[in-house]
Amino acid sequence: MQARLTEIRRSEALRYLGWKGGALPPEIEADIARCEALLMETARPRAVWRKFGLAPDGAMLGTDFRPAGEDIRRLLSGCESAVLIAATLGAEAETLLRRMQVRSMADAVILDACAGAAIENVCDNLCTDIAAELAPMFLTERFSPGYGDLPLAQQRELCRVLDVGRRIGVSLSDGGIMIPQKTVTAILGVSPIPTAKRRRGCEGCELYETCAYRKDGTTCGKS
Amino acid sequence: MGNPEIILLDGATGTMLQAAGLPVGELPEVWNLTHSETVTEIGRRYIEAGSDIIYANTFGANRHKLARSGYTPAELIAAGIRCAREAAGDADVRVALDIGPIGQLLEPLGTMSFTEAYDIYKEMVIAGAAAGADLVVFETMSDLYEVKAAVLAAKENTSLPVWVTMTFEATGRTFVGTTVPAMGLTLTGLGVDALGFNCSLGPKELLPMIAELREWTELPLILKPNAGLPDPATGKYTVTPEEFASELSGAAALGVGIFGGCCGTTPDFIRASAQKLAGLSPARRPAAKRRGVCSAAQTAAFSGVCVIGERINPTGKKRFQQALREADIGYIIERAVEQQDAGADILDINVGLPGVDEVDMMEKVVKAVQSVTDLPLQIDSSDPAAIEAGLRVVNGRAIVNSVNGRREVLDAILPLCKKYGAAVVGLCLDENGIPADAAGRIAIAERILEAALSYGIPREDVLIDCLTLTVSAQQEQAAETLKAVRYVTEELGLHTVLGVSNISFGLPARENITVSFLTQAMHAGLDLPIVNPNQTAIMDAVAAFKVLSGQDRDSEAYIARFAETAQAAPSAPSASAQMTLEAAIGRGLKQETAALTEKALETMTELEVVNSLLIPALDRVGERYEKQEIFLPQLINAANAACEGFEIIKRRIAEKGGGSVSKGKIVIATVHGDIHDIGKNIVRVVLENYGYTVIDLGRDVPAETVVEAAIREDARLVGLSALMTTTVVSMAETIAALRKSGHDCRIMVGGAVLTPEYAAEIGADYYAKDAKQSADIAKLVLG
Repeated sequence: MQARLTEIRRSEALRYLGWKGGALPPEIEADIARCEALLMETARPRAVWRKFGLAPDGAMLGTDFRPAGEDIRRLLSGCESAVLIAATLGAEAETLLRRMQVRSMADAVILDACAGAAIENVCDNLCTDIAAELAPMFLTERFSPGYGDLPLAQQRELCRVLDVGRRIGVSLSDGGIMIPQKTVTAILGVSPIPTAKRRRGCEGCELYETCAYRKDGTTCGKS
Repeated sequence: MGNPEIILLDGATGTMLQAAGLPVGELPEVWNLTHSETVTEIGRRYIEAGSDIIYANTFGANRHKLARSGYTPAELIAAGIRCAREAAGDADVRVALDIGPIGQLLEPLGTMSFTEAYDIYKEMVIAGAAAGADLVVFETMSDLYEVKAAVLAAKENTSLPVWVTMTFEATGRTFVGTTVPAMGLTLTGLGVDALGFNCSLGPKELLPMIAELREWTELPLILKPNAGLPDPATGKYTVTPEEFASELSGAAALGVGIFGGCCGTTPDFIRASAQKLAGLSPARRPAAKRRGVCSAAQTAAFSGVCVIGERINPTGKKRFQQALREADIGYIIERAVEQQDAGADILDINVGLPGVDEVDMMEKVVKAVQSVTDLPLQIDSSDPAAIEAGLRVVNGRAIVNSVNGRREVLDAILPLCKKYGAAVVGLCLDENGIPADAAGRIAIAERILEAALSYGIPREDVLIDCLTLTVSAQQEQAAETLKAVRYVTEELGLHTVLGVSNISFGLPARENITVSFLTQAMHAGLDLPIVNPNQTAIMDAVAAFKVLSGQDRDSEAYIARFAETAQAAPSAPSASAQMTLEAAIGRGLKQETAALTEKALETMTELEVVNSLLIPALDRVGERYEKQEIFLPQLINAANAACEGFEIIKRRIAEKGGGSVSKGKIVIATVHGDIHDIGKNIVRVVLENYGYTVIDLGRDVPAETVVEAAIREDARLVGLSALMTTTVVSMAETIAALRKSGHDCRIMVGGAVLTPEYAAEIGADYYAKDAKQSADIAKLVLG
């Protein structure tokens, strides 16, 4: 299964840029369009996933990985297996972003926002493709280390179980940072019945830690 | 396996260990001690199946991966080699020390330095050699830079043969962008004993890459692929042993002589391969016909004209000299990007300037330049120590510029070229100076060639510079140079280099002379001109020559070049009479800002322009940003436009030999453990454009480095950034270290997870919520 980047949602990218609405200056709109095109052309998204049976204590069968916390227990209740995913925009996009910081910092800021929207699109596509493969079973929502009470530190175990270095070229720094930075890992339940889409709220957002809206005491209004 | 022409390796170790009960995600090397009988048994089964060489179970036994395991690399490596030896018993089987990637990405993508990587591999190869390994194999590598550190570690610390296999995707590149030609050129240059591919894909998907690799190397080739690709739902591989074996045998027809299996392969795969390969001989390979230099991602082949950009060089450039003296790496790498955009194929790097530590600077600049471009590099120095410093950290295969006919120079520099596999420029001069005629220069070229060959450097890598003299001073010399270029090309069959720009020194309308000489020289055979690629007329001449010589097939590149210019032409508005400097900056218009700054300087001093025009204009932009009338990209665009104005002023002051217009020094860094530095970089751009001198220490910066820089630069303001909750801890540590040092400075902090309260709690003086606010704080502290 190939990882797919199919679109960069403009509204999403603008939200990451902190755009508060209103008319967009045409030169900025042109800059955004240029960065989107550049990223679509440069990024080589990669993804890996694997399905695991669930032990009664919540561990992934055949591994020593047991996600901790109430939130993940709730997500996986009623599921007999789980899927681990890791998706990355790839080193090419990362390099582009670094180089753009030398060429034009303004474009780099825009590119960074576009890359945020892009990795979300890759994850959405991946989950759609996995769901199709696992039909008639259903996938729950995805839940990442660092959301809610699922410890960020478990990122390391998840990465090891999926062998992300060898499979998609992702590494985890000593400080626990994934490289390339535009990389997402997550756990999903495989359920015999469709699970209700909960409103995710800020806690379930990939930007939870770093969101400027939340810091200002507002939300982006997305979920 | 009994076929003397083919070497059969083993299959997967990890797959076998997992089948024996190793949980997914656990460290396999620990089993060398805890389940040594199982590990030995796996080796035995591969030998029974026909393996001539088995890999010890030492793939991940590095200091980094074992950090939390309670074991050292030396003990697990010794145990792994012991298991393999025991499996081999009396059989005629060799044992390889097997080494995989460290598991941490190197700079610039990651944070591990080249030296750290070298040290980690050094520890492993010394342990492996001591334990009695017969050879070292580096496998599953995707970063050519990491491979270089590994190969140097093995060759400098052991005398074992070194084999390398890398992992490619179906696109023909690795995860970090290394290409097959770059792998072939670089590893052949470094003197490995065999190379090829492992893991990645199934055998048949790797055949096209084998075909490409053998164009760039004549060394023995290795193929050790996966059993196809795993099914994600189950983790199982799909190709059968028989299919695998028959696909492998296809590679023998391409001249591969060393075979094995990677993920998903078992003794059954090796047995099937042994049977299939028993009667085959690897096909005789044609001589590798392609040479060139490369970065990990890009190759400049020695066939046709390649432009070497000359702008990273302080000679005659006051502003560049200032940048070198101030270690302003940012200015230098902008010159790199600019030349790449202008179409350079290779970048010359010269950082020799009295008062500057050339050895240290060469290493810094090479690393910085290759973090922003993929162009191959030419290390330009006469100091062997600076040359080696550059060659060591180059990612790929470089050119050394230069040696000449003097014996002591040849003896000092050619061994370095050999060791690091570099091509070398030979200048046609010696202790008696530059010969006045072509014949004299040709004689020196022949001497240099002979010396290079005697050091084991192939003739294709000897690039001769017949030397350009100034035509206004020695008019008859232009013809002699061209004559020598023609002879060296046609009779000696060597590639030639020529610094072209010097020809027109002292004449008006220099470009006419330079371009005409360049064209004639290319016609005489010059294929590696060293020029200023930012001069459009020069690059136009090169583009035209490539059409006329047939290098540019169907004039494609030529047509594309001029199609672009035609489109770009209308959108270059000049500064209109009405526009003010403030409006130009507000709208982020760089050219207009530059033009209006020049104009203002006609009636005002540099400092007046800074204080009464540039800074107020930036302040106005800042106010609009605060009111959310504009957003971040616009703020940065404005700051960048203002930067054009500041650059003009800096250059004017540098030309007058005056001091700086700096409003004060600020040290900034992204703290230890954190690599999210885009926010810090935005702050740098904005602060610089407000006229402050910013010493940017980069990302993942240890506390002591910040303290040291703050004291050395006597900075009164230090800015720290951290993005993750996990790294705010190092921010607190850095603040504590600064306070403890007694250095009198204010500290501002910023980063997504910080709040004003949290900033106060960890002892910062100021919390900056964005780049604009950091400029406000700087004004408060420094004025």
